[in-house]
Amino acid sequence: MRKSRIWLVLALLVAALAVVAAGCGGDDDDTTEPAAEDTTAMDDDGTMEPVECTASIGIMGPFTGDVAAIGQEQLNWAKFAVDQYNTEHGTSFTLVEGDTQLDPAQAATVAPQFVSNSDIVAVIGPAGSQEIEAVGSIYGDASMAFVSPSATATNLTEDFDTFFRVVPTDADQGPTDAAYMAEELGAMNVLIIDDQSSYSTGLADSTTAALEDAGATVTRESVSQDQTDFSGLVSTVADDTDVVFLPWQVAANAQLFGNQLAEQGKDAVIFGSDGLFSPDDFSIAGSYVSSFAPDITGIDDAAIQELVTAFEAEYGDFGTFGPPTFAATTVVMEAATAICEGGEEPTREAMVEGIAATNLSESILGQPISFTDIGDIQDATFFIFQVQDDGSYQLVQ
Amino acid sequence: MPRIGTDEWVSEQELRTEYYSGLTAPARRAFDRVGPGPRFFAFLAICALFPFLTDSAFLIRVGVNVMLFALLALGLNIVVGWAGLLDLGYVAFYGFGAYMYAWISSAHFDVHLPTELAIPIVVAASACLGLLLGLPSWRLVGDYLAITTLFFAQIFVELALNLDRVNLPWRDEPLDLTGGPNGIPGIDRMSLLGIQLDDVRDYYFLLLMLLALIVVGLFYLNDSRTGRGWRASREDPLAAELMTTPVNRLKLLAFAMGAAIAGLTGSIFAAVQTGVFPQNFEVTLLIMIYAALILGGAGSISGAVLGAIIVAAVPEILRTPENARWLFYCALVLALLVAVRPWTRLAVVAGAVVGFGLVVHQLVAWLWPAGVEGETSGGTLAGVLDSWVFLPAESQDTVGNVAFVLLVAAVLWLTTLRGNARIAVLVPTIYLAAFVWENRLVEQPSVTRQLLFGAILVAMMTTRPQGLLGTPRVENPI
Amino acid sequence: MDFFVQQLVNGVTLGSVYALIALGYSMVYGILKLLNFAHGEVYMIGAFIGYFVLTALGGASSPMLPVAPLLILMFLAAMLGAGLLGVVIERFAYRPLRNAPRIAPLISAIGVSFFLQASALLLFSAQFRTYSTPELIPFSTGIEAGPLRISLVRILVITSAVFLMIALTLLVNRTRLGKAMRAVSYDREAAAMMGIDVDRVIVATFFIGSVLAGAAGVMVGLVFERVFHFMGFVAGLKGFTAAVIGGIGNIPGAMLGGLVIGLAEAFTASYISSRFQNLIVFGILITVMLVRPTGLLGSPVLKKV
Repeated sequence: MRKSRIWLVLALLVAALAVVAAGCGGDDDDTTEPAAEDTTAMDDDGTMEPVECTASIGIMGPFTGDVAAIGQEQLNWAKFAVDQYNTEHGTSFTLVEGDTQLDPAQAATVAPQFVSNSDIVAVIGPAGSQEIEAVGSIYGDASMAFVSPSATATNLTEDFDTFFRVVPTDADQGPTDAAYMAEELGAMNVLIIDDQSSYSTGLADSTTAALEDAGATVTRESVSQDQTDFSGLVSTVADDTDVVFLPWQVAANAQLFGNQLAEQGKDAVIFGSDGLFSPDDFSIAGSYVSSFAPDITGIDDAAIQELVTAFEAEYGDFGTFGPPTFAATTVVMEAATAICEGGEEPTREAMVEGIAATNLSESILGQPISFTDIGDIQDATFFIFQVQDDGSYQLVQ
Repeated sequence: MPRIGTDEWVSEQELRTEYYSGLTAPARRAFDRVGPGPRFFAFLAICALFPFLTDSAFLIRVGVNVMLFALLALGLNIVVGWAGLLDLGYVAFYGFGAYMYAWISSAHFDVHLPTELAIPIVVAASACLGLLLGLPSWRLVGDYLAITTLFFAQIFVELALNLDRVNLPWRDEPLDLTGGPNGIPGIDRMSLLGIQLDDVRDYYFLLLMLLALIVVGLFYLNDSRTGRGWRASREDPLAAELMTTPVNRLKLLAFAMGAAIAGLTGSIFAAVQTGVFPQNFEVTLLIMIYAALILGGAGSISGAVLGAIIVAAVPEILRTPENARWLFYCALVLALLVAVRPWTRLAVVAGAVVGFGLVVHQLVAWLWPAGVEGETSGGTLAGVLDSWVFLPAESQDTVGNVAFVLLVAAVLWLTTLRGNARIAVLVPTIYLAAFVWENRLVEQPSVTRQLLFGAILVAMMTTRPQGLLGTPRVENPI
Repeated sequence: MDFFVQQLVNGVTLGSVYALIALGYSMVYGILKLLNFAHGEVYMIGAFIGYFVLTALGGASSPMLPVAPLLILMFLAAMLGAGLLGVVIERFAYRPLRNAPRIAPLISAIGVSFFLQASALLLFSAQFRTYSTPELIPFSTGIEAGPLRISLVRILVITSAVFLMIALTLLVNRTRLGKAMRAVSYDREAAAMMGIDVDRVIVATFFIGSVLAGAAGVMVGLVFERVFHFMGFVAGLKGFTAAVIGGIGNIPGAMLGGLVIGLAEAFTASYISSRFQNLIVFGILITVMLVRPTGLLGSPVLKKV
């Protein structure tokens, strides 16, 4: 009995203390600081007057799981885009996250969630082509526009009406890369290794077709994304192989592959697709990387460079998947702002039309953005870079 | 008279709980009196009403996910809970069912069998596969069986990824069996007895009906000779064999039935998603199903369903920071209510936590002003918490990370303390937990899900290995 | 011929790493009959510790210490850190479950594995980290015999692995602690009755197993350079396969199993095709399981009735 009395006394004491503390500690003025610092204009055509516009933008991507590096980069760039835009235009856009772990089943659960959230007017993502297959009809039925910064399977824009993408398809990248390999590099023997993802196999197939049309001999191999060691594969690279084409998603794997190529004294040159575009992760001197976006750190545009610096200050390094996400987010926000300026509320149908009518003269990707009538980006130009001895990327085409 | 599978001491414990006392006693006694039939009917009725209470396709989709999980957990329950076979390859049956349905009911091979034909074929094929994969169980026991079945599951995923270019000698072009990493899209929707099942709502009801049928079937199966045979072979296979229980045949039967249920679930999953992809069937899913079964209580039908509800629904709640916050604080309060008794001690702890927080907040505001100027992500609860938990505006991540490591250490330390020392450390630990939650975890729902999941599994196993609704078991030492 | 030797070297490098991880699994299983699924994550943490030590001391491009002491420091830090982590895991996740049904510690291990993976993601973010070994130890160092090229890093890895395995064998066979470990794995109750402190022996086993995993983590970082939060899962699976093939609970078996898997991977990738690497490894496992369930070097388990 005594013990519980002691507790009772203690309880009263503590309650008294709590009241006193609450009384004393009442007034704290924590002002909520605005999140973004930089106020540079991203594109010059926008007005600098504040625009009243509130909407939520959903973002789907692999934020956890084994490709979390890609998803987190996309998410960070999207957050960055929203912060910048809100600061610059006085809008109040918010992001709603949906983690899919690149799993179509999860994507198919996140999509209805976004659809039933009436604040969400458009969606960025999903990142993978399979996820888009799983959610395309869900978003189509809800007239929800979704803009992917990374899905390259060619059929997607044809199959789904409300789907847009800011990256070119495999049907564009494959022939471009193949042409460069065949003509500029004079490759007659090419080894193509895919990483068993749908991005990779799609691109590998279209490049194979283009190369074989150009008269080169193509050998195909395949590895898995979580393979630790490539030395076995590297040792099978024949001495007369001119180019090894790696349409991979994980740049760090390609760096390892390149190191092991050098270790075993092979002469083949590595040619990578845009998945390898990551100066921090992939820097094998003498190899080539193609990219839809030019290396935005190399674009001679002060505005873009300021953005890069601001991003790196807040989030650190980035690779190739980030800037297209920034571009996709900007496309969505611009469309919403245009609707708001017209005095209307952004609705999903209006967003679909607004995005389809996008016509940005400048973007972080260093080129204008507008869409074809099925939703692909127009005039997708490809840039090819060569990695220099100091690891930097030099534009060669 | 102790039940088969439990020893006397355990069943005495169970008898003791029948003498209920306290406020909730009449309710519990009524619950027990009512019996499993009406209880299950009430549960079904609530589930059936659910789609009419909400318009949100998302919630219905979550319901569909929950029921898919429940069916899988029930199937696994047969193999692991009743027959005591450690089958770590269960997802392979699920995937096989899905892919088989995709083969016979989609545009892939252009075979469009009617659903009434397709489903029995899938179930039969899955059962055969279950028999096949159960054959190793004749020679392998315990952990060895677990290992072999785990690798069957791995092989399944590998095959699914690689069988899109099968070079057969009599064909010019390679045969595309599984679509490789792209999977098989464009699967037909089901149509049973003339009713076309297009909407997610339709599948919800289909799954509910199947769940009802299977639960009833399993309930009667558990009480039958087969069920007793499984229990006997689980507890002591040698003794059971000597008592003329056909242990090997029962093992195969368990595998086959589990596989059949998984295959059936797989086919419905394929129809709901209108596509199958290899990453739908990875080891992560297996872990979730196991977690659902173990959390709920292996060997118990209601446990399997309850576990499935928890495992499938909780991650969805955690997706939005708003809901996640409510969930977290409610769970915290609930845990305290359950763990800290009597109520006076609880009041002390609650008061101390609040007071401690306010004091710390004031101290930090005084010594390091930037420490309190961060922003919360909005919502009613967040506003209240703003003056209690502090959010640094700068180096938020580093502070949060350090706090996280400290929190883990504090929680572990807490488990070694007793009595007053435990209360003393509990207070700052709770505050630390809230701090870490607000600063780091709330903004990263996906990582938080995984964290909480792992932590719950460990906590559950160390405190209550039999799960929520299972019966405590004493295993024969090796 | 040179090609063959090249593959041999590749296989042995890979195999040594798998063997080190497999040893941890085998030792823990031998003593506790527990499949420690969290072991892969311990290895991952070891690799991260090595990375952070390297970065703290200037990074691969401009290290503050000469190469040899730097490597030794990385190894020691990772091994110690991983060992401590293993001990903590045992104390809080497995010890309360000593007498629970077998599935309980298994699920607990899975929970720990999930938790550690998520913690690594939270604390270290999803970015890939690289050791950038070529800047530390250039490719040109090493043995060159005609077309055959073996880099110094691989030689280093193989020799340290061999050294650790010899040390372990000596420990188990020649010291009192080793004798106690063998006794506890044979019959726990009898060992306790003989005055052996079973708890301490178990802690020591976990510590040693995790130390080896930590060392494996740093080695993988050096040879394969990529460190990320998910690496423990795959490596854990492969190490586990190796332990099982060799006979789980059996220390020479774990080493043999690791070697078998490493060589199988290397030769499959070079002589057959990289696509089938995983399939063939799993196929070997299944075959061994069906033909000789206790593993290549395992002794048949006699069950007392």
